[in-house]
Amino acid sequence: MRRDTRHRMLLRAVSVAALAAAYMLVAWRVSRPDVVPPAGHLVEAFADLVGRGYQLPSAPGEEHHHHHHSSDQVETLVRGGVTLQASLAISAARVAFGLLVGLPLGILIGFFMGWSRRADDYLHPIFVLVRSVPPLALITYVMLWLGHSEAHRLIPIVYAVATTAVIPAYHGVRDVASKYVIAARALGARGRLLYLRVLLPAAAPAVLGGLRYSLAIAWMTAVGAEMLMAENGMGNLLVGGGMWASRTQTASDPAVIIVGILALAGAGWAMDALARATTARLTRWVRA
Amino acid sequence: MTAVRIRRAAFALILLAALYGVAAWIGQGRLPDRVWMGAHYVENVQLLPTFPSLFEEAGFLLESGILPASAAVSLLRVLAGLLLGSTVGILVGLATGRASRAESLADPWVSALRFTPALALLPLFVAWFGYGEISKVLLIASGVAVVTLLGAHQGVRSVPRVYLEAAASLGARGAFAFRKIVLPLAFPAIFASLRVAIALAWVTIVVAELIDARMPSLGYLLALSGAYPRVPTMLVSIGTVGLLVLVSDLLALLLHARATRWMGRAA
Repeated sequence: MRRDTRHRMLLRAVSVAALAAAYMLVAWRVSRPDVVPPAGHLVEAFADLVGRGYQLPSAPGEEHHHHHHSSDQVETLVRGGVTLQASLAISAARVAFGLLVGLPLGILIGFFMGWSRRADDYLHPIFVLVRSVPPLALITYVMLWLGHSEAHRLIPIVYAVATTAVIPAYHGVRDVASKYVIAARALGARGRLLYLRVLLPAAAPAVLGGLRYSLAIAWMTAVGAEMLMAENGMGNLLVGGGMWASRTQTASDPAVIIVGILALAGAGWAMDALARATTARLTRWVRA
Repeated sequence: MTAVRIRRAAFALILLAALYGVAAWIGQGRLPDRVWMGAHYVENVQLLPTFPSLFEEAGFLLESGILPASAAVSLLRVLAGLLLGSTVGILVGLATGRASRAESLADPWVSALRFTPALALLPLFVAWFGYGEISKVLLIASGVAVVTLLGAHQGVRSVPRVYLEAAASLGARGAFAFRKIVLPLAFPAIFASLRVAIALAWVTIVVAELIDARMPSLGYLLALSGAYPRVPTMLVSIGTVGLLVLVSDLLALLLHARATRWMGRAA
């Protein structure tokens, strides 16, 4: 058994090493650091973005003038005072806000539709319509109503989280809970007792399982909204103030983008691990 | 019973439309038509366009061929991305589900890609492949591939070992057992993941087209109507996207029901 685990870890390490080696080989053969930045550039871009070791090139006569890799995008970002950790924190805060508001909203709607057949009949068709609209397609329309503010970045995230949270809560109540509810009712449970002690725990695994989907959707929507219209956050770091047609064009630097993507993957993984741990803790009774 | 449900659904939708119509009618002349757009004011904005102006706009967009052409461009991108991504994803997922060696090899990359928001890859693809079709199709494909890979993997893994052992004791093994036992049993999970992937593909393409708004497409139409801003066009485009998402989801459900009919259960 232990030999098996060690074998797997070895294979994983081989896989990571092989792809890293292949990347470096490609970077070396192509030798176009502006397209495929070698590993050294990635490390430098990372160091610059966390705010260490970068000197603004406008200071002439600098003593340690070793060949520093600096591109337009890094320069633009550093000049603007953008750091990787601050951008990540801002995006994470937007994601957290979206979850904080969107999850209760979506879960309540899902519970309501799952609990009452009548509510389901009336609300489900409307929900299907609402769910079909990609949240970020609404961003400009929201902006017209609420002006250029934080609201039009947060509303699509809340919308995305809420619409994804409805379905697990709905199925949790409708499918999972019904047999427990029938049994509890037969034993005379009703009102608050029924809701708090039977319905909520029975639906919890499904609802918490949906949490992981909501998390992924929230990150995607946050990054997309920041790419479209925001002056900060990871999405803005990735596009470096370029791309979106109405802004001035900056030559984008793959080193910054790759560092940003890796940071996002790390943050997404960490939050998912947190969600899984929370789920395991809250639904310990399921396995018991 | 179903008649009651249909009647209630129709009632809810008609009520919603009527409420919107009344709100737009009351709002006419009362809602501000001067809107602050970040840098300047814009005049003559209909925040809540009335039904006649929406229908007029939809008629114009349809008649001039702008809307069908845009929808066709976006639809083709989604289809190309879905085809490429799901082929790769399902094949790799079947392999990782079946062989633990393949799983160990693929695992680091799958988990890295899985937690990357699909849209974050767009700037990288643009830097590598330029603006245009390749980066958009690849963007959709990478998101779709991850989702379908996980679905196929889970589907293969959820096949009860007893089935395989029973088949093996009857002499079925290797490719034959895979084709006759694993594939059919993994099919529902693969299809469920494909349904998620279709929704993801639409979200991705519309935003990718919004961010890189150059060619005629639904995202471009949205970006254009946002720049002027022209709310009727905006709402008609949003409605078109929603309709396409809805129709593709229904098609996927229908296919799913059809393909799993042999299981003898409601889809």
